Amino acid sequence: MKATVGKNKVLFLTIKITKMNCQLCQKELDAWRDGKLQGDMKIQVESHVKACETCSGIFRLQLLADKVIDREKEIQADPFRITRIMAGIDNLKSSGYEPANPFIRVLKPVLVTVSMAAAIFFGIMLGNLSEPVTDRDAIPVELALIDDASIESVNILLNE
Amino acid sequence: MTDGEIIKLVLQGDKDKFRMLVEKYQQMVFRTCMGFLHNKDDADDLTQDIFIQAYQSLSRFKSEAAFSTWLYRIAVNASLNKVRKSSKNLILQRIDAFFGTEKSKDLTFSPSDMEDPENILIRQEHIEWIRRTLDSLPENQRTAIVLSKYDDLSQKEIAEIMKTTEGAVEALLQRAKKNLREKLSVRRKNK
Repeated sequence: MKATVGKNKVLFLTIKITKMNCQLCQKELDAWRDGKLQGDMKIQVESHVKACETCSGIFRLQLLADKVIDREKEIQADPFRITRIMAGIDNLKSSGYEPANPFIRVLKPVLVTVSMAAAIFFGIMLGNLSEPVTDRDAIPVELALIDDASIESVNILLNE
Repeated sequence: MTDGEIIKLVLQGDKDKFRMLVEKYQQMVFRTCMGFLHNKDDADDLTQDIFIQAYQSLSRFKSEAAFSTWLYRIAVNASLNKVRKSSKNLILQRIDAFFGTEKSKDLTFSPSDMEDPENILIRQEHIEWIRRTLDSLPENQRTAIVLSKYDDLSQKEIAEIMKTTEGAVEALLQRAKKNLREKLSVRRKNK
């Protein structure tokens, strides 16, 4: 449709007439199923699904998928599991586990870090306290010259 | 008593109060597990593990988010881990299935179901195939679909659980639906 507005301004109005095909129909199937389609598109999808065996088959499979999900949703959890869960928590407690208080949870690593830092600091301090040996004259020169290897050679030991 | 008050009491040592949380959220966690595992016994076992895990991590729960959101996150992660482990054992399962030793994991249909003409179409083969199709989705799409279809959560709630935006969830759901539709049409053509 073409309409003239003013002298030079031409307003083009297009009315989109969509030809329904399988690709478009399958794209709109979800929206149609959820009731989100309206007007012409809704009518076209409906009539296409009725006429097209492929699209109606896909639609049926989608309904089946919904049914499978609905059936799984209906299944109830085992009510006796609560007792088992609480027993499992009791076992945790008897094995020494307790849910840590947030304060203790933060405090624990801080204390460990502080004690490790203190241990390293005192180690360094103790190391610095010891002095190197300066009194080298305490060992006589004669003793320093003794070569142990020559006194007790391997040959002597072997002959024994 | 609110969830926050119960949690406070549990953290102070009153562990029996945790039962109240289990009673309140058991079905919710179980449904999420069912969405991933499609087997009642497995889902019950995993639900049990999830609550014990939640109890152990309770001190890490920050009241910024709802307890249910936090629990959903644990449930989704635990379910995905379980699925990953199961897929590793898939070859063994197939061998079992080949020799007919694998236990049937299918839903059972009561005779009244079979009397219903609508349900005549529902066959185990189709159901198993539909489950496999759901399971074949990428993890994030699958999570979004499970939370949407099984737990009936809104996009906003799903976004909070998945720590993403509503737009991203919408895109995930659209992609998941498109993937499912394509797989359904392939199935239809192959029939």
